Amino acid sequence: MVTETKTDRSLPQGVGEFTPGWWAFTVAAVLVLVAGVAAYVYQLIEGMSVTGLANTGTQGGATWGLYVVMVEYFIGVSLAGIVLVAFTKVFDIGALRPVSRVAVLLTVASLMVGVLSVLLDLGNPLRGIINMMLYARPQSPFFGTFTLVAVGLTLTSLVYLYLDGRPDAARLVEVDSGLRWYHRLWAAGYSNTDAERARHRRTMFWMSILVVPLVVIALSTEGLVFGIQVGRPGWYGSLQGPDFLALAAASSLANLIVLTVIVRRIGGNRGQLVKPVVFRWLGGLLLVATAVSVYFQIVETFTLLYATPGGERQLADALLTGPYAWIFWPSLLMTVAGLLLLVLQAARKKWNVGWLVAASVLVSTSALAERYLTVVPSQTHGMMLPYEPGSYFPTWVEFTVVAGLFALGALLIGLFMKVFPIIPLNDIAEEVKLDA
Amino acid sequence: MTKYAMAVDLNLCQGCRGCMTACKVENNTVEGNFWMYVFRFEEGNYPDTKMSFLPRPCQHCDNAPCVKVCPVGARYKRDDGLVLTDADRCIGCRYCELACPYGVNYFNWQKPEKAQYPIVDWEDPDLEAATGGAIPPYKNPDLDQLWGEEQRRTAGGGNLDGVMEKCTFCVQRVERGRQPACVETCPTNALVFGDIDDPETPVSNYIKKNRTWTLLEEAGTRPSVYYIGGKPPSREVSEIERPKATV
Repeated sequence: MVTETKTDRSLPQGVGEFTPGWWAFTVAAVLVLVAGVAAYVYQLIEGMSVTGLANTGTQGGATWGLYVVMVEYFIGVSLAGIVLVAFTKVFDIGALRPVSRVAVLLTVASLMVGVLSVLLDLGNPLRGIINMMLYARPQSPFFGTFTLVAVGLTLTSLVYLYLDGRPDAARLVEVDSGLRWYHRLWAAGYSNTDAERARHRRTMFWMSILVVPLVVIALSTEGLVFGIQVGRPGWYGSLQGPDFLALAAASSLANLIVLTVIVRRIGGNRGQLVKPVVFRWLGGLLLVATAVSVYFQIVETFTLLYATPGGERQLADALLTGPYAWIFWPSLLMTVAGLLLLVLQAARKKWNVGWLVAASVLVSTSALAERYLTVVPSQTHGMMLPYEPGSYFPTWVEFTVVAGLFALGALLIGLFMKVFPIIPLNDIAEEVKLDA
Repeated sequence: MTKYAMAVDLNLCQGCRGCMTACKVENNTVEGNFWMYVFRFEEGNYPDTKMSFLPRPCQHCDNAPCVKVCPVGARYKRDDGLVLTDADRCIGCRYCELACPYGVNYFNWQKPEKAQYPIVDWEDPDLEAATGGAIPPYKNPDLDQLWGEEQRRTAGGGNLDGVMEKCTFCVQRVERGRQPACVETCPTNALVFGDIDDPETPVSNYIKKNRTWTLLEEAGTRPSVYYIGGKPPSREVSEIERPKATV
């Protein structure tokens, strides 16, 4: 058992140690990010005509494309992290404590990148920020995206990450390092007295209880953006909100598992603090979330197939045998394969990290494809007036910008791990005490 | 109180698409944007086929889905029934376009200078000498004005990059007591426009005397465009002669 105590002279968990491997990762990520920024600047100068987007109807295109798909995907990925940590705190699930900071960090990073994707998709990004403050209309579902998600949830997660880290920051202040000023800033006067600790616990407990409804309401608006639209086939319906949450749960847990494995792997000895029981928890939760999400998919596909209205039928044909079949079937196959891998491991009561990562990658990739299939086909096929079917495929500009988004998310996480311990020190110490 | 509406007599429409051209000239819309669009449909199998036409301006709905979803109130409905776009406020999110079941919204994907029809070489120095480099050489100055009680912009007005536009019922003409460009140009008088709150106007009489229907009634949008004759388009028809419409 590896433990860290306040008597350690150096910073824990590789904080402050900028290794060659870390530099290689960072330089690579920065290069991709720079390419993404360059592509976006090109889009700003030339106009959005450099994307594959076009107007629906007579122009036969999709007006929302890869950027909106990424908004939906990234914001979905933010779900599980903070909810899981909230449950860990409220129900006192000690086993999951080591991953609590990774989880909240994933929520914060994916929200930031997701909200950025919203701006990338706007024809007037600057006006998007200013006019939302001056003229926002709460009647529009976009209001939820801009307020509840972009401001409310993002700031709440940041505050959560900050407050939850204060006891650790206070501990790090005692280490004489180059980052001491930063840890002192973070601790902001917190010094781990008994009274402070009690107040900290109380704060985190109530914040954990309050954050869950906020997440559910905020993220539901992402589904409602589509669910309240009668003008498009396959969108209108009360299932869009819950369906968004189900897929969000699956994709976010999958990403959390991959990230946890990376943390554990590069953490060396220290990474062993993430014990196998964590993967049993995460694997089991991913299994449930994936099963629920598959259930929603089946229900929705059947509704599309049995529906008689022309538009829905046309959409179903486009998905199952038409131009989107090459995404639809592999995506379904990946989900089923991922689910099978999880079921087999659960049945044998033996969780293998390698297989768990494989299942996670399958589930997460198919979730991305699912988001694409929700956003795009309903615009190109089955319009209510008999326009000819359209088509959409992203251009290199969109792909490069999106690659930049992934790089930005990875950079945020990578940088955080070098300035703050990714595995909470405080909780570990407590757990060690519990074990003893 | 004035309430503008349009009647479209499909018994008279011959599908000449003159209205589409008039609209483009009046509103300076860029390549591929058709604020007024005329479907040309074909039904049945050769040789038993039947052609039909359906002009599709913005329906200026009383329960406009585009107005409801706009996050900043750039899309607005005036008391006189017109549904307009404040181009100075539009953030370019294109949600209105997705909310509209009729497909009447056109986003400007690039600067208008770059989206003109390639009828001439716009970069030609000889042309530049004559036009002073303005692309297109003439722009309707009315489009840049503020209109109505609200004194707001009404559409792209000069076709700005990154904002949404659509049919305005030619608000700049209507406010001066003139007819929309499409109505004025129609050679068969298939389009009738006016105030339906006044029972004496031609459009009121037209709607009173004829059996009318509205487009996509099931969507519950309560359009201000009334169709006479013909029948609502079904899935049995297919569109023919779609104009080139790329961005």
